[in-house]
Amino acid sequence: MHGGWPQYAADGGESLRYEIAGEADLVAARDGARRLAGQLGFALGETTLIATAITELGRNILMYAGAGEITMSVSRGGLRQGLEITARDRGPGIGNLRQALQDGYSTSSGLGLGLPGVRRLVDEFTITSEAGSGTQVRIKKWLPVRQQRAS
Amino acid sequence: MSPTLQAVADWKQEYAECLERHVQAAAGVRLAPAPQEEDRLERAYELGRRCLAGGQGLVELAAWHRQALRHCGGAVAGGPGADAAAQFLCEALAPFEMTHRGFAEAKLMLRRLHELIENEARRIARSLHDGAGQLLAAVHLQLDLLAAELPAEAREGIQSSRQLLDQVEAQLRDLAHELRPALLDHFGLVPALRALAEGYSQRGGMDVTVTASLGRRLSPAVEAALYRIVQEALINVHKHAQAGQVEIEVRDLGDAVFCRVHDDGAGFDPENLATGAGLGLYSMRERADALGGRAEIRSAPGEGTSVEVAIPAGGNGAAAGVGAPGCGGEG
Repeated sequence: MHGGWPQYAADGGESLRYEIAGEADLVAARDGARRLAGQLGFALGETTLIATAITELGRNILMYAGAGEITMSVSRGGLRQGLEITARDRGPGIGNLRQALQDGYSTSSGLGLGLPGVRRLVDEFTITSEAGSGTQVRIKKWLPVRQQRAS
Repeated sequence: MSPTLQAVADWKQEYAECLERHVQAAAGVRLAPAPQEEDRLERAYELGRRCLAGGQGLVELAAWHRQALRHCGGAVAGGPGADAAAQFLCEALAPFEMTHRGFAEAKLMLRRLHELIENEARRIARSLHDGAGQLLAAVHLQLDLLAAELPAEAREGIQSSRQLLDQVEAQLRDLAHELRPALLDHFGLVPALRALAEGYSQRGGMDVTVTASLGRRLSPAVEAALYRIVQEALINVHKHAQAGQVEIEVRDLGDAVFCRVHDDGAGFDPENLATGAGLGLYSMRERADALGGRAEIRSAPGEGTSVEVAIPAGGNGAAAGVGAPGCGGEG
């Protein structure tokens, strides 16, 4: 595996963490997410979209902060199961969140990619960012009920 | 910035090479995926993303895939190679999915925006009518009382004030009507169009006729859109066309409603449009498009102009009698 070894969080169990400092780390994070998604029972199309979300979030980290981390874990809500992914960095932060979340603000989002694009691929999307204090994006994708596997 | 032909050819080549590597690796692997697989899938994503950014279409990309697959050793139908090829394509198309969802969302927003505009217009029209209208009535009353106190010669001054007030009242009524005709809400599209036509015939120096075969109400959004499109078309005719005769036609097509505004005026060259007029036509298309319909403008210099629009109407709206030709009165 390239740089960015998977690490297991202090609470043990199913959490994976990837340092993101270069493109090779994106690949590792994608790989981890794909495995986790596959284990949960997401279908091919959905695992592709999850890998897409990782790529776009990771690209943002590299482009605006230079380095950061992506963590992922199984999420449980009532009868539902899903995947939760958090992308964090200590970069310059986003001064104008509303603008950044609008299509057309940057080259990526003008095409529907970037943060606005990721938002449309997932079920839950939260972003916290302030100029000067880094950015955190947390996304969740729930498994369609028919695909849930007994855990 | 458009890519050069060479750049596009290079991308196509790169896609084919990456696909082949991926397929062959898959065809030769028997155990769990090797780490390098994600590398190749990420490459597929990047290729797709670059195509999207460069304006290469989705179908084009799929066509490259099909061509490249033919020359791929190891892409045996049903085998791991074929499976891998499908996944590769999936990754390359993923960026397009985000864009597609963006468009769907934008269309929804546009529809909401139009609703908001109509509601605002309705609110303003109502307060013009109620608020200002009542104030004017009160002024009239005061003038009457004043006139009673004054000697005869002075009363003439009052009379001219009254006339000015009447003009203000008429302008307010026209404005309110233009903003949001009560007819449209209460009686529907055709009566509102007849009133619109009547107004232009009386004051616009054109002969505007309405032929309609619509015997039911439509959803408010569809009625508003069609009304606004015809309204815009008539404004254009009045401003640019020097037309004598304008025909408005409304036809019920069952699952859709068709509307045409045809004038016998000067016509124009659609290729050669001044920005102002262009915006009007653009907004007509947007209104129709937001509801899943289409608007087209046909014209040529010296041959008049036709604005044609069709909007899906579903089974909405209870059947209603087509109202009597509107007389412009407000509710």
